[in-house]
Amino acid sequence: MKWRLFALQFATPLLAILFGVLIASIIVLAIGQNPLDVFGVLIRFGLLRSDSLLSILFKATPLIFAGLAVALSFRAALWNIGVEGQFYIGAFTAAYIGFTLKGLPIFIHLPLTILAAAAGGMAWALIPIVLKLRRGAHEVITTIMMNYIAAALILYLIADVFRDPSQVGTPRVRTPEFPPSARVPSMGPLLELFGLTGPDANKVNWLLPFGLVLCVVFAIVLSRTRFGYEVRAVAFSPLAAEAAGIPNARIQFLMFMLSGAVAGLVGLNDVLGFFGYLDIDFPKGLGFLGISVALLAKNNPLGVILAALLFGFLDRGAQGVQFFARTPKEVIVILQALIILAIVVAYELMTRYVRKQRKREAERPPPAATVAAEAGR
Amino acid sequence: MIVLRGITKRFPGVVANDHIDLEVRRGEIHALVGENGAGKSTLMRILYGLYQPDEGTIEVNGRPVVIDSPRTALALGIGMVHQHFMLIPRFTVAENVILGSEPAGAFGRLQRREAEERVRELCQQYGFALDPAAEVSTLSVGEQQRVEIIKVLYRGAGVLILDEPTAVLVPQEVDELFVNLRRLREQGKTIIFISHMLDEVLEISDRITVLRRGRVVGTVPAAGTTKSQLAEMMVGRPVLLELEHPPVMPGDVRLEARDITVAGRGGKPAVHRVSLAVRAGEIYGIAGVEGNGQTEFVEALVGLRPVISGQILIDGQEVTHATARAVRLLGVANIPEDRHRRGLVLPMAVWENVVLGHHARRQFLNGAFVDRQAVESFADKQVEKFDIRLSSIDVPALALSGGNQQKVIVAREFSFSPKVLIAAQPTRGLDIGATEFVERQLLEARANGMAVLLISANLEEVLSLSDRIGVMYSGELVAEFRRGEATPQELGLYMTGTRRQTAGTGVSPS
Repeated sequence: MKWRLFALQFATPLLAILFGVLIASIIVLAIGQNPLDVFGVLIRFGLLRSDSLLSILFKATPLIFAGLAVALSFRAALWNIGVEGQFYIGAFTAAYIGFTLKGLPIFIHLPLTILAAAAGGMAWALIPIVLKLRRGAHEVITTIMMNYIAAALILYLIADVFRDPSQVGTPRVRTPEFPPSARVPSMGPLLELFGLTGPDANKVNWLLPFGLVLCVVFAIVLSRTRFGYEVRAVAFSPLAAEAAGIPNARIQFLMFMLSGAVAGLVGLNDVLGFFGYLDIDFPKGLGFLGISVALLAKNNPLGVILAALLFGFLDRGAQGVQFFARTPKEVIVILQALIILAIVVAYELMTRYVRKQRKREAERPPPAATVAAEAGR
Repeated sequence: MIVLRGITKRFPGVVANDHIDLEVRRGEIHALVGENGAGKSTLMRILYGLYQPDEGTIEVNGRPVVIDSPRTALALGIGMVHQHFMLIPRFTVAENVILGSEPAGAFGRLQRREAEERVRELCQQYGFALDPAAEVSTLSVGEQQRVEIIKVLYRGAGVLILDEPTAVLVPQEVDELFVNLRRLREQGKTIIFISHMLDEVLEISDRITVLRRGRVVGTVPAAGTTKSQLAEMMVGRPVLLELEHPPVMPGDVRLEARDITVAGRGGKPAVHRVSLAVRAGEIYGIAGVEGNGQTEFVEALVGLRPVISGQILIDGQEVTHATARAVRLLGVANIPEDRHRRGLVLPMAVWENVVLGHHARRQFLNGAFVDRQAVESFADKQVEKFDIRLSSIDVPALALSGGNQQKVIVAREFSFSPKVLIAAQPTRGLDIGATEFVERQLLEARANGMAVLLISANLEEVLSLSDRIGVMYSGELVAEFRRGEATPQELGLYMTGTRRQTAGTGVSPS
């Protein structure tokens, strides 16, 4: 029985994906195409080509940070919807340290730049959490508002204050370029050793392993340490935690700051890992995607990795489907959303079922022990 | 009048009712007793049409019936008075009574006056003291319960099911309820009375049916049956109803409140200038109707609620404004009144809950990491020592029964040699077996020199365990007695604010 539950828990995500594919197939049929063709292309193009794999890795990198940032706040029963804004500010502070400091060796300049990004994200998260803990303002509202402010502020800073003087007069609105000492080195040469080559090879950079390590570290911190224990208690039952003498506000503050710090790193993949400057057209919306990633991952840091990879795969596969299976782009976007939605729903149903089974098991004492206990009486 | 035959109801994993036969005669008060989970509520829900039995038949007045909804039950003359009142506070008595079957005239006009008249007639007929025009929010708990009963009578019920009706009442109100119930019986009504308060059951009922683990143990006449016989039928083994209360020489004052005032909702103090002192080896019981400041008082003592004025001392050390953590570290254990919200983190595993609040002790940590092995071996020990029934310490606390959950809390709070124990409603919702267990633990704590502050809505419990008893009414300590000085009736007078000792005449700690 115990093993059955264990296996069931493992099968849950797989069944969920299967359910998602099923729902999506109905849509594909509805527009008069063969689902087998579409999914065939999705898999063949998305998984079996080395340039696609590289693209998935590149796309998944910022989503790992974004998903982790959101998950960290959700784990503390806080709704950080402001990862988007925090990542704008983090990208800017990183860019600022990147282009203003010159002549430093990479092992000093790069860590400084990354720390600046984290500090920027934290600074932007500070206001909502202080308002929440001191004044009771709901963080969903304040973080959303902070997103708007961040979006406007960063456009102003790029376009009006720190615009690269050498680009004035061109249509390019961006900060000055960073010296190589502030850039994250590419993993391209390393990946080539494994036979992974392609146009995107140089885009995949060392932020990817950094993100993976961060996820693993947070997974351990949250599941094994005293801090993680207190976070769980606060998130599940603030009243019981309070009665147990756990400082609720401090735990929530710390987790929100950590969330903000990780959020600050979301933009680095593009800014430090690829472009080398902060363009006014830098990729946006990653913070909101992070919410989907975290939800799909059930706020588990390790799950974030898988969810981010799935998002990267769907994104890349969609390009192939659009091109080779001649499915309209809009349908593909619908498919992506449907698959995710179906996974979330199926996952929830499965988890509930597993939980119910567990509950039924809980008070059934192990047979041998009961007999012994009764006999001893 | 009502005959249940072979009623069986299964829920996933349990048989809640296992071939239950029950016969209720017209015009009798029939009590249904049993521990939590014995199947009383399930059986009554079947009779009231909220559940469908898997097997078995129901006969009403000699005719087999299928009761598929409360509406059908009411049509058959069966009504239920719920333990938790379902009244709208801003409506009048009459408005609440007619709710759901409002008498409407032409064009749907509500016949308020007629309704009030009808309710007044019912009150007169059964001798209920109630003003149909009074707003429910102004009524006492006992009066609200009368409204619930009238509600059922208004719908023409001949059979009334009362689910734990005395749990919320003070002794005087219980007496009044019993007077009313007897009058209903005289008028030919049939009453099914669910309770686990054995004294009351023996006093009010004609016959008693005992359930245990979903089965009928037996039906006995109330006359000639003793309390311990009933208890044994319920639990399946002899139970000590009156725990021994050996004299203990009280030691130093461990917990002292000096004139403390605690804020409540809306700026009004919930606790007003309360002073008391509890000595080592002493149980100080606080009696009172719930909502008279006990909750706030306890929260202030354990550092969860700010104190406006006055002083709190633990072992002579001032902790008036200390944090919950600091108070706990000084050796104050707390069994909170709401174990689901304050006592346990329900989704967390039992092994995690059993150290909650003590998880930061060095014995459970390995640097920043939780030493899972140490915690688990500790948890295993507690499970064995306190006889917590579970399949594994990895199950979440929410999967346990109320009694086992309380045992987890008791195991935790007793484990770190506390000096002071503050136990609020420690046996609420527990069955006889678990209640006996917790009460025994409290007495043992007393014998071991702990200072115990016991807050309980169960007067019997306060009287049987405490060395001294304080009565709280409206945020104030209105009376204080030594053990054996006061009867339940007297305490009831203080609990309802009818009487109070003049300030300063309280018994000083001896």
